[in-house]
Amino acid sequence: MSRRSELASPASANQKQAEMSAVVTSSPAAAAAAAPTKQRRRRVERKPRVAIAITAIFFVLLYLPIAVVVLFSFNSQKSLTVFKGFSFRWYDEFFHDHDMIASLGMSLKVSAVAMVGAIVIGVALALGMVRARSWLGSYAGFIMLIPLITPEIVTGVASQLLFKGFYIHLSTTTVIVAEITFSISYVTVILRSRVAALNPELEEAAMDLGATRWQALRLVTLPALMPAILASAVLIFALVFDDFVLAYFTTGVTPEPLSVRIYSQIRNGVRPSINAVGTLMLVGSIGLIALALVIPRFFGRKGGLDILSGE
Amino acid sequence: MTAIDAATLSPSAAADCPAVRLDRVSKSFGAPRSAAGNGFAVRDVSLDIAAGEFFSLLGPSGCGKTTSLRMIGGFADPTEGSILLDGRDVTGLPPNQRNVNTVFQSYAVFDHLTVADNVAFGLKRQGVARGEIRKRVGAMLDLVQMGAMADRRPRTLSGGQRQRVALARALVCRPRVLLLDEPLGALDLKLRRAMQVELKQIQREVGITFIFVTHDQDEALTMSDRVAVMNGGVVEQCGTPEDVYERPASTFVASFMGTSNLMDGVYRDGSVAITGGPTIAVGDRGLRAGCAVSVSVRPEKIWLSEHEPQMVRIPGTVAETVYSGPTTTYLIEIAPGVTVSALEQNTDRSRNEERWVNGARVELGWRPEHCLVLESAPADQSSLVAA
Repeated sequence: MSRRSELASPASANQKQAEMSAVVTSSPAAAAAAAPTKQRRRRVERKPRVAIAITAIFFVLLYLPIAVVVLFSFNSQKSLTVFKGFSFRWYDEFFHDHDMIASLGMSLKVSAVAMVGAIVIGVALALGMVRARSWLGSYAGFIMLIPLITPEIVTGVASQLLFKGFYIHLSTTTVIVAEITFSISYVTVILRSRVAALNPELEEAAMDLGATRWQALRLVTLPALMPAILASAVLIFALVFDDFVLAYFTTGVTPEPLSVRIYSQIRNGVRPSINAVGTLMLVGSIGLIALALVIPRFFGRKGGLDILSGE
Repeated sequence: MTAIDAATLSPSAAADCPAVRLDRVSKSFGAPRSAAGNGFAVRDVSLDIAAGEFFSLLGPSGCGKTTSLRMIGGFADPTEGSILLDGRDVTGLPPNQRNVNTVFQSYAVFDHLTVADNVAFGLKRQGVARGEIRKRVGAMLDLVQMGAMADRRPRTLSGGQRQRVALARALVCRPRVLLLDEPLGALDLKLRRAMQVELKQIQREVGITFIFVTHDQDEALTMSDRVAVMNGGVVEQCGTPEDVYERPASTFVASFMGTSNLMDGVYRDGSVAITGGPTIAVGDRGLRAGCAVSVSVRPEKIWLSEHEPQMVRIPGTVAETVYSGPTTTYLIEIAPGVTVSALEQNTDRSRNEERWVNGARVELGWRPEHCLVLESAPADQSSLVAA
């Protein structure tokens, strides 16, 4: 009876389901419903030109500025508006600019340390939040989301005021501490759903087979979470590497992180070598994303990696 | 304290003890010993399970069978009472300090390890030498017929194969007792039947005590040496499969173990007056007159033709016939609104078909000893069980 009524309102019925039940039931009602199903499919399969146009505009707006940066990084002239010819001179200039290289090194260092720190704290927090039997777990989960929605400029100013308030000298350490604080939420948000979805019998099985609580965590739980952990690690590295606001407010003197250095250079007039730096950062980011797509293969999982769910 | 030490140290003392003893074990969730008395998952359960026994905990979902198993495994602590393994009190010990292994309902196979590494997991924790591990893992995988799959990832295996891995992983540790939590629940019927036979064979081969949780009465009957039927957190009856099927101790056990044709009535002078139906001769049962009882005759114990002289006979009308391959079930109305089901072998089906069509008059007969008379539980007590 319920199947019949489902067919009677084809607009609400899932198309595949309607087709399947049409095959199963050979009642007149089912046969009557089969015809509109076919028509509906034809309408869906027709390519909507508006949708194609909107998609095209979206991609042009998204990638044109980046394409311009990449193109002008190979310009042989100093002009930022006219492309004269192909050359590597701006890459050459960048690689001979010791301050820039030092800043790049600083950015890599900050990103790497912040990534490790945020992963360790974030994973522990996710495990604790899911397993806490008290009301604290759900409250912590809510508080966790606040850094994600707070404007970064507020976090930046607040961090600087905090450090200054405690007479802490702004340095690389302060940048790292601020970046870790800012990143923990991302790790926890990604990991939390994965921990909740984990079969509790896995850890019980490990302990049943003689593992201690710590061994069960190390040998069973963490490996099961590894794809999600690696995905959030890649995400955090990328986020911290190109973070400007927080770094700007919490960094000490030299060498400042790359994003801060680029910003201060632009204030004194834009040099084309900025384009070269931008292009290199782009290549690096694409490399990271490719890595995130390849990593799950090592765990025998099919398909790509959704960076937000860690699946 | 000294008594416990003596029991653990001397094997002869341990041999006299049951492999597992549950001593007045209760488990309540939420506030312990709440005044209302509900919130009990398991209530005052005492069981002795002998070494080498295939023991089943049978009951509907929520009857406390899985909770009992988890308490033996160390995944839940009893609120009251104690659990003894080989005479040693293990109440409160974590799972990794009990010589007991579990095959989980979800199998809980480690997907990041190969089949062989899964099976080796427990031995590595015990610190067994590497060569020894390889030998024992290989032998165990052969026993469960997974030798060819040693290097496969669990993700690439079927449900039945994953189950074999889970079984091998638990058995390779040579536990005193193996706990199985509805391990066949996720398999299709055919594979399930095959695995029932195989599990029983493996159990005989390794000689380990198996405690098997199931809600499937067929499974419990075919596999077990003894069955404990649980309902509402208590053990209703514990005995051999024949005991619980042929001689159920309560109306719950009678109705849970297959079709039972339970009919309510009043006992008086060797016969029972069925409510709204005929009066059936049951013989002297030593009950007081006017006592409320339930009468039960198993469908396969009811004869529709060729009656023996001493049989109890009741006339009836065929209301429905249900053909199911080797047997046919007849629903027979013995009074308006009172039907019993009778099971006939289809040995000579064509003849039966002609004789017992719907509406045909038949005479049911059964041997007096096949008619069970169970005293109905007092009203206040039955409502307590339901809660």
